[in-house]
Amino acid sequence: MADHNDPNAVNHIFSDIDYSPADLYDLFGWPTSESKNVVFALTFASAPAAGVFDTDLLYRLLLTSHPRAAWPRDDQYSLDSVLQYFDAVKDKYLGELRTAEIRVTVDTPTRFTLKFMGFPCGNFTTSIDANKVVPVSTPDGHTIQAFIGGRDDAFFNDLTGFFRSINYAPQFYHVPHTMTEARELPIPKTLIELDGNDLFNYRPDMPEWGFTQLDGTTPKLDLPPGPWTWKGDKFKKDADGNFRFVYDGRDCRAKQNCNAIVLEIPHSFITPHTAANRLVNGWGESWVRKAVHKVASIPDDPSWVQHPWKTVREKELDDELQKYKLVDTDGQPFADAALSERENDRQLGANNFWLGPHFIKRLAHLGWGFGPSISALGLKTSFNHDNSPVSVHKTYDSVVEAFPRIAKTLFQQLNMPDASWNPKNLNIPLRRPFEIFIPNVCAVDMDTNGSWPFGRRLEDQVATRFLAMFLDMDAELNGKKYHIDLLGEQTLWDSAPIVPKTPPNPLKNDKEFLAEFPYLAEPWPDKW
Amino acid sequence: MSSQAGLRATQLPGFAEESARVEMDISALEKLLHAHPRDLEQRLRLAYRLFHRASLTGRIEHFAAVEVAVREILDDFGPKEDLCLLKANLDLRFHRLAQSRVDLEMCALLPGRFEARVLLADLDFQEGRYETARLGLERLIAEDLTWDNLARLAHWKSKLGDAAEADALYAQAEDVLTAKQMRGYSWLELQRGVLAFTHGDYRRAWKHYGRAEEAYPGHWHTDEHVAELMAAEGRFEEAAALLRDLIARVPKPELRQALGEIYLLAGRAEEAEAFFDSALKIYLQSAHRDEVHYFHHLVDFYTDVRPDGAEAVRWARKDVELRSNFSTQAAMARALFQNQQLSEAMEYIRQTLASGVRDAGTFSFASTLFEATGDISGSERFAAAALQTNPKHRNFHMHH
Repeated sequence: MADHNDPNAVNHIFSDIDYSPADLYDLFGWPTSESKNVVFALTFASAPAAGVFDTDLLYRLLLTSHPRAAWPRDDQYSLDSVLQYFDAVKDKYLGELRTAEIRVTVDTPTRFTLKFMGFPCGNFTTSIDANKVVPVSTPDGHTIQAFIGGRDDAFFNDLTGFFRSINYAPQFYHVPHTMTEARELPIPKTLIELDGNDLFNYRPDMPEWGFTQLDGTTPKLDLPPGPWTWKGDKFKKDADGNFRFVYDGRDCRAKQNCNAIVLEIPHSFITPHTAANRLVNGWGESWVRKAVHKVASIPDDPSWVQHPWKTVREKELDDELQKYKLVDTDGQPFADAALSERENDRQLGANNFWLGPHFIKRLAHLGWGFGPSISALGLKTSFNHDNSPVSVHKTYDSVVEAFPRIAKTLFQQLNMPDASWNPKNLNIPLRRPFEIFIPNVCAVDMDTNGSWPFGRRLEDQVATRFLAMFLDMDAELNGKKYHIDLLGEQTLWDSAPIVPKTPPNPLKNDKEFLAEFPYLAEPWPDKW
Repeated sequence: MSSQAGLRATQLPGFAEESARVEMDISALEKLLHAHPRDLEQRLRLAYRLFHRASLTGRIEHFAAVEVAVREILDDFGPKEDLCLLKANLDLRFHRLAQSRVDLEMCALLPGRFEARVLLADLDFQEGRYETARLGLERLIAEDLTWDNLARLAHWKSKLGDAAEADALYAQAEDVLTAKQMRGYSWLELQRGVLAFTHGDYRRAWKHYGRAEEAYPGHWHTDEHVAELMAAEGRFEEAAALLRDLIARVPKPELRQALGEIYLLAGRAEEAEAFFDSALKIYLQSAHRDEVHYFHHLVDFYTDVRPDGAEAVRWARKDVELRSNFSTQAAMARALFQNQQLSEAMEYIRQTLASGVRDAGTFSFASTLFEATGDISGSERFAAAALQTNPKHRNFHMHH
């Protein structure tokens, strides 16, 4: 996902930006129970309608399969080592790694051409209709299940709570597009309310403040004149001594649809070496046809095709892609929040290596907000905030300065809640945040059940798991090590000095997922 | 295009579809605002949609509706950056340059914003600070390569620089656009067509106008240029028929003036006068409402259509006081020439030429003026420049 909270140029969060089918929501990926097939589901805005597609769009699912790689320097938690890792990933993705692709072009609003390119069996093409499960026979005798159509949006999340935690003003205030400095307001990010934070604290007189309503409106306030500051020194507590959670756990995407490309692909179709190549990395892209290619009779004009503004990358594109413009990419949930801060020019897909140093600075910035919140709740944090009693607003210009604060968060292995993720009980290393987000791909481990971060299953509450990166995974609660679903456990909140006593995000989707392909639930009858 | 017989229709959605969609949007927003009258974002969205509609139709009553919406939001909520930006755009469009600048200054930080700096570059150009405008646009493009700023720079080059460079910039702007921006693409094609037309390359102009129509069918703006090109080719009856149809769709007085001029060329003087009368009436009604955007047309009218030197100078002075640039200065020179004030006319034409403008019409008039003042070699030099810029510059052209 990531892009539900990604107000880039196509995101309909902006009042004068149309709801766009180029707005990618999520990429899910997991192996089927026998580990023979891998499922990928790319979801995006249902424009013009759920089950009806825009003929100017092109979607790509890029895939690569390779061996699982363990972090080679188990005890080396240095800035150099992580920067070397980013370089190595870059060399790999720009170098020897060959990427296969499933490309979807929209022939009519309910019919598509699927091109399979770069797979071991060679390239081939097929056509399918919308909203139907279609088995696609491949030249090498495999069968791929394909579904392209309207579905219930599989994302379930308290988006407003997340926006409140990062002081994302446009969700709560009228913020003109021009005022880019008034997006994330410069006060501490936090999971629990700050004492005297009049800018974002819950207002009993406006319980729906910042929550998008079914008629498309969002109750907002007029942005007060700056400077937007917070001068307090503690978290807010009520008369009973309880903190106030910035989340209330509601599902802000309930009863809403998406359009989806769902494919169940035999692993052996992707790679002949399935035993060795246990990882399948996938990422999605949306492209919009260029105006100059909209009218068939408008020929390419050599005078502009040869112009020097064309980049090297564009020259490398095939003939078809040259007729389109890349708009959005999707690999990891919350990659934008963690990495790109929702900037259009950071829509890089897997090729986000250069954001590595930025990732460290951004994570340290988030850590100063979330770390003290976690400590105040009596939990251990992976972020080094020098026992700050309250969240701090701090940004970094220097990765060297940021790194010591965030080193543990970056390098710690993220514990899973139980053993179900590793059904074969193999020696699979737990994943670490730095390798989850760079490259920005959904990396499905075929020997796991694909639960995030070993892929992403539909039922994973990834927003809560993202916050868990800031928990100290060496700590224990009630005799059990912290894990990525800890913040989703109701018992934790029942005993915490906080209201409302709820996990930050809903624990399940508003509609039951299907047990069989295409797995995502049927769409809602109306747009919402 | 197409052929010079006319433009080919395509199946793509165009003006009619977008007009219908924007009306639906406006209606939905008005309904929503009935339930949430204090919702600032929806109010602003409506104001922007109204501006969108007005820009599409060119109808003065639609622009008036935007003015009302903007004023009401200002009254209810005070100045907001996006509102002031809209107001500044509106004022700039209607040649209220000083007010446009005031709009941008209503919010302290707005003049430094990217979007406002674009308008400030427009203001610089309109107020004759050409180099400042160019440098501003180049900086904006370096910061964010947007199609509209590329087009602005192309326009600058088309007037003050190299036509080939201008065309290349328009083409670069086209490459930035997606299929969701076909009106923008069509507009750029139209500009490329105008560039070709003003350099006498009618074949190329037809090609670009054809593409404009194919990309975004049914826009009156395309038809306006097609009618001009037809008339320039001497196809007066076809041009007149197209303009008559246009006038029924778009009540712009300048189209009436153009139709009158074509009737004159076709030898239908009596019919021409009726259209001149109605055009003049609308120009003057506008001026009496203290609007300023038809001053330029009044100058043209009293210089070329119904020559009246004193009236031409009166309106030209008003216009040049508002925005002193090569266009208003040239108009002033022509008005003064019409009024037999050769010495002052020479001052203005020198100012015009000093801007570096490369316009066949301006060169041609300079030749006439220099000849009238006895500077024969100067006259010959500018006559040659006019021919070099556009060998067909004496053919019909419209006052857009």
